[in-house]
Amino acid sequence: MSDTVTTEVPVYAGVAELRRIARELLDAGDVRVIIGWEHARRGARPVFITDAADADRLIFDARCVHNLVTYLNPRRDNVAELGKIGLVVKGCDAKAVAGLLREAQLTRDDVVLIGVRCGGVLEEAELPRAAPLGPENVAPRCFGCDNREPELVDHLLGESQPEPPRPLTTIDERVAALDAQPLEKRWAFWTEQFGRCVRCYACRQVCPLCVCERCVAEKSRPQWIEASPHPRGNLSWNITRALHLAGRCVDCGECERFCPVGIPLSLVNRKLQQIVAERYDYAVSDDPEHAAPIGDYRLDDKQEFIK
Amino acid sequence: MTSADPTRGTYFITEDDLRALTGELLGAGTEVIAPVALDVCASPSAIASSACLRPGVKPIDIEYRALESAAQLNLGSGLPVLSLKQYFLPEYEALCCWRQHGTEIEIEAVPTEFAPRVVLAAKPCDSAALAVVDKVMNWDYADELWNGRREATTIVNLACPVVDESCFCTAVGTAPDDAKGADALLTPVEGGFLMEATTDKGRALVEAHAARFTAEEGAGGAGARGRQAAEERAAARARAAANLEIDAASVRDWIDTHFEDPLLAALGVRCNGCGACSSVCPTCHCFDIVDEEEGIGKGTRRRCWDTCQAPTFTLHASGHNPRDSQNPRYRQRINHKFAIYPLKFGEVLCTGCGRCTRVCHAGQDLVEILQAIDIAARRREAVSP
Repeated sequence: MSDTVTTEVPVYAGVAELRRIARELLDAGDVRVIIGWEHARRGARPVFITDAADADRLIFDARCVHNLVTYLNPRRDNVAELGKIGLVVKGCDAKAVAGLLREAQLTRDDVVLIGVRCGGVLEEAELPRAAPLGPENVAPRCFGCDNREPELVDHLLGESQPEPPRPLTTIDERVAALDAQPLEKRWAFWTEQFGRCVRCYACRQVCPLCVCERCVAEKSRPQWIEASPHPRGNLSWNITRALHLAGRCVDCGECERFCPVGIPLSLVNRKLQQIVAERYDYAVSDDPEHAAPIGDYRLDDKQEFIK
Repeated sequence: MTSADPTRGTYFITEDDLRALTGELLGAGTEVIAPVALDVCASPSAIASSACLRPGVKPIDIEYRALESAAQLNLGSGLPVLSLKQYFLPEYEALCCWRQHGTEIEIEAVPTEFAPRVVLAAKPCDSAALAVVDKVMNWDYADELWNGRREATTIVNLACPVVDESCFCTAVGTAPDDAKGADALLTPVEGGFLMEATTDKGRALVEAHAARFTAEEGAGGAGARGRQAAEERAAARARAAANLEIDAASVRDWIDTHFEDPLLAALGVRCNGCGACSSVCPTCHCFDIVDEEEGIGKGTRRRCWDTCQAPTFTLHASGHNPRDSQNPRYRQRINHKFAIYPLKFGEVLCTGCGRCTRVCHAGQDLVEILQAIDIAARRREAVSP
């Protein structure tokens, strides 16, 4: 079914190569499972290919929004037990792999990385076919992407892609619009946004870098974060989540996409990225040797805020 | 205009009269909960929504809300993002408050009686879910908060034209024109709505606003409007059935006897375990109870929504977790809904609203999963003597 649909729609070059490499890796026993994307009833979604004969189910087009690195997360016992993974990654996803390597959650030999050259993705994966990218449908995070051809990979597929279009408003413009508001207005904005949180923790579950064995939100002795989804508990949960990702977040946008009540988490994440860039001159990359500020200490770290 | 005789079954009401009735209820201080179209682009979230910036149709969220005015009542076909569950089992609610005086503890109970309220234009899948959950809420313990809200609430359904390809109510024993769990059903017809009151509470609502209704000619709505309603309702049922047809009894028995089957045992591989499916589900009713301190020596015991998709749901104090990976956790979701609950209570714990499928960005698709189980179950039936 996927074949008939995907041949009619614009696909990134390299899909045939992707399927061939997947088949070869599985046939040779180099990996036991290829995690990539497929076309299903409601659109693109993650797929786990364990039989080389199924490799033709793999697709790559602008609906392949998902950051599949979440499946490398050490919490995922049921994925790990499938055996060695071959993972298809876009550049943003490769940054998350680097994050796991940097924090010793993974060793490089644990995974074969199949990189795809990316020209940006859509906001939504649940579409019957990929649409050409334009300002009105491109995922805003793709604008200005600095890693469209990941280096931390074993295979890099496809041809060089054009730059993603500029979205109607960029995330930076959205953050700036919010920053321009007085404190009370910003407080009112976030109080309302976090007020809607139902504490399903979808943001945490899908995050490739939320790797804690036991999340602070689940601790009851002492209880650091109130468990009920009332405004006070929601505020402490959302602030804790955001701060714990500061300088680690790779801007894959999955937390915001999975939020069932539509909290604009990309704005918090971007604000923290800006602060980390300004204070530590640090931007997340797919170089695992490039230590993140949260796990690094330097004598010249700015500390004037300590009074 | 002949006023309605509530001893008869079917009435006609114009949209104007339905809004006037809503206004009368609100005027009398009755809480009225109904679908409301929320202008996403007028809310602060618009800052993060490309859809609000692009030309053309702006996104609208439908949500059940306590109405502020009759004009807010949305009589369209959109499915509210969250089900009606939140008005019977709120996301969180206090069970009691405590205050410590030395070695004495003073407990303050919460009220379990509620003021009468009315739900208008409920989705049939949402009211049916309440009737299904009534069973467990009155099993070995009668849940006073649930029952108190159920008794205080009169629910009027609005027949649904079927929202999209993820709707499958007819496959799980309900229908887009069902009044299960509700007290009356509205069906859109030329010039207004046919209203059938199916319970005493529904009849009392008609009686209290008799001037707004006219008795429909022909018993059981056999007139022209009745025929129009019947045709549209049948067409909606056919649309739902085209999305998914399963034999729920075979599915139940197959799941019950195939716990270790690879089809059930490996369902959770793409699932992120986020539990968004449980949050939006009208029938998922599991809750956690937490004590939240508010200062020294006082606090509130609350219950809040929980999900079997979270590892902590089954984590024992010893550290052992009987459902220690997402595969058994996802199997539990399917098993509970389509085998355990039906075997215990005679009802499928799912009303086919499709919200879990629509909310899942990892692509877990209940329609596809039920289809696969149904095929496996039929195959088994075909070979067994």
